[in-house]
Amino acid sequence: MGSRVSREIGHDEYDPWGTLSLIVIYFVALTLMWLFTYFVEFIGNTPTVMGMIVPVMLG
Amino acid sequence: MHTSPAKLLILIALSLVILVEGRTVLAFFGINIPPLETALIGLVIIATLVIWAIRPLRGSPTKSE
Amino acid sequence: MTALFVDEYPAEARLVKAAFLSSFIAFGIGALFGIIQALHRTDIFRFIDSIKYYTVLTGHGVFLVIAFTIFFLVGLYQWAVTDSLERGPVDIRFTWFWYGLMAIGSFLAAISILAGFLEQPPMVLGAELRANVLFTFYAPLEANPLYYIGLALFLVGTWLAGIDWFRTWWAWRDENPGERIPLRTFMVLTTMMMFFLGSVGVIVSILVFILPWSLEITESLNPLLTRTLFWFFGHMIVYFWLLPAYLLWYSVLPKLSGGRLFSDPLARVVFILFVLLSTPVGIHHQYMDPGIAEGFKFIAMTNTMFLLLPSFLTAFTVVASMEHGARQRGGEGRFNWLQALPWRNPAFTGMALAGLVFAFGGFTGIVNAGMNINYLVHNALWIPGHIHAQVGTATALTLMAGSYWLVPQLTGNRLVGRQVALFQVVLWFVGIVFMTNSMFRAGLVGVPRRTAEPQYQGFEYDVPVGSMGELNAQLALGGTLLFISAMLFLVLMLLTVFNNDSEPIVDGTLPPALSGPEDSPQVLDNLRLWFGIAFALVVLAYALPLAGIVAQSGLFGQDIPPFPVSSEAVMYLEFGLDYVGALVT
Ligand code: HEM
Ligand SMILES: [Cu+2]
Repeated sequence: MGSRVSREIGHDEYDPWGTLSLIVIYFVALTLMWLFTYFVEFIGNTPTVMGMIVPVMLG
Repeated sequence: MHTSPAKLLILIALSLVILVEGRTVLAFFGINIPPLETALIGLVIIATLVIWAIRPLRGSPTKSE
Repeated sequence: MTALFVDEYPAEARLVKAAFLSSFIAFGIGALFGIIQALHRTDIFRFIDSIKYYTVLTGHGVFLVIAFTIFFLVGLYQWAVTDSLERGPVDIRFTWFWYGLMAIGSFLAAISILAGFLEQPPMVLGAELRANVLFTFYAPLEANPLYYIGLALFLVGTWLAGIDWFRTWWAWRDENPGERIPLRTFMVLTTMMMFFLGSVGVIVSILVFILPWSLEITESLNPLLTRTLFWFFGHMIVYFWLLPAYLLWYSVLPKLSGGRLFSDPLARVVFILFVLLSTPVGIHHQYMDPGIAEGFKFIAMTNTMFLLLPSFLTAFTVVASMEHGARQRGGEGRFNWLQALPWRNPAFTGMALAGLVFAFGGFTGIVNAGMNINYLVHNALWIPGHIHAQVGTATALTLMAGSYWLVPQLTGNRLVGRQVALFQVVLWFVGIVFMTNSMFRAGLVGVPRRTAEPQYQGFEYDVPVGSMGELNAQLALGGTLLFISAMLFLVLMLLTVFNNDSEPIVDGTLPPALSGPEDSPQVLDNLRLWFGIAFALVVLAYALPLAGIVAQSGLFGQDIPPFPVSSEAVMYLEFGLDYVGALVT
């Protein structure tokens, strides 16, 4: 399982720009998923913990 | 070959995954793709990828990876 | 090429192999039970009695998340300590002793679970031999005492393993004064500190409360207390599953990518954060439990959100190390470097895909951790969706991929079927996405988990997209792909073990990090300090809730007799009536 290394890159010559780009995409995806969750949870429902109290008390 | 067999395999896997998850996301926006059509789209994607991958490179002699 | 691990440390290699063997046996049975569940609960193919579903599900949980993961962990960690300290344990007999305890313990637990399949289970220790209590064994559900004894032995064995590695490290430190702890040993020691601290809960729960109660030495217990003690351990254990995968991602994955770990100090910080934060969050599994004040739940939720930090740090460090490898292999561009990664190598591809699933599956954990939305997904099929993305893939797939790299070095045999291995890891990836996607969607419409027949008369799930039939088919399809993948993995391992006259093509050396330990403050290696802080945090998070629970209904509860989970449905009814009777009068 040779890893064909064609050049040595040391600590100072390496800036992980590719990683940064992937992480930016990832955070955008996370934000979108949060929005999605927000809709699943709250649209058509009142917030569960707080909203429960009033209907329960009114019966 | 436009790509290696290993990468072709991974591309196919990734596109199936995007298909399944993407269908869920689209459904959230009211676009429903029925199961049968989803499977067909999957087959078309796989076929396209395979054909693209094994199509010989123009000009250069076939060479893998 | 350097000498193989098996040639340099034959005695230690034998132990690692024994641990992996136990792990893989558990994996095989667990996977078989998995496919049975997937087909049964979707009503696609039922060949067991629904009453036996809990026997299957208990086996699935215990064999996979206790035996498979932890046996693999002790094997991997024994390799990591030996290889990074370049020395064996102080006394290898002690090493075999703890392995023996773990093996006996898991054997006892296994037979008490499997006996549940018998029509007429034998009587052992004064009770029917069975343990249909699931891996969470919430009292007053009661298993045969043998099950708890087995679990206890297994846990004690794991404790001794940790002590063994600490002893090895102390001996090494005397020989190498003033040196930094090698990274892999550092990871092992911090994981075990976390385990010592977090497992106290479950050990107390078993030894002080549940075992004596199942042996009828004590008459009652406090179910909320034993539950809380279980979850004291229960979130820590998820990191105990995950950290072996982290160890492989930090130490082996950069090398497989053709590069070096981006930062050694960052890796140390991540492991320390897990020691500090993984236990004081356990109450986030009990948002729905009455008897624990809302405020404590809120604190647990806040702590949980802090736990995202080490995982984000990991995402950055590991991807940056992969990119370093890709660029060393000639990769260019903002995204094109991804193509320069060694996708042909099943060990690399398996770990990379596991990391990808973890990154997105992790999001479902954030959802579970939110108090509000937890009410929606609690006890729904969403939760097994989360479980399979995380421990069932981030961990399991990484361990399988790691085996493709490690087992040849442990046996001296060449890996059989590299292409099949690549197909196997990719198949797992596709299978898990099919299965979990369906579990998430089904969970959101309220399909319950832990249910043999989640089909109800006069009631339709309100499936917004597609139909229940489609969700079921997708779950079963995913489960089948996973099962095939698991079997392929086991066959390849078996063939490799018997592939005797061959030379492995694998290079076991691990390159040093780009930014080494010398760039980090010495205080990171002060294990006493971190343990002290972790202890204080646990006391802060748990002292008051535990005191509250004990104050409410006493250490041993009030008259909570066992509720034996037997295969006889009649017994359920009898006990149910007794309970209702007791409540009414
Ligand atoms: C062979 C592939 C697998 C299949 C087909 C499968 C299938 C399933 C299904 C259908 C459930 C839900 C049962 C229910 O709630 O009624 C389940 C639960 C679970 N699975 Fe898997 N699984 C597989 C592999 C794994 C792996 C590799 C792990 C972990 C390493 C795992 C850990 C769990 C856990 C912890 C639960 C919850 C158990 C409980 O509720 O007590 N599974 N599995
Ligand atoms: Cu948790």
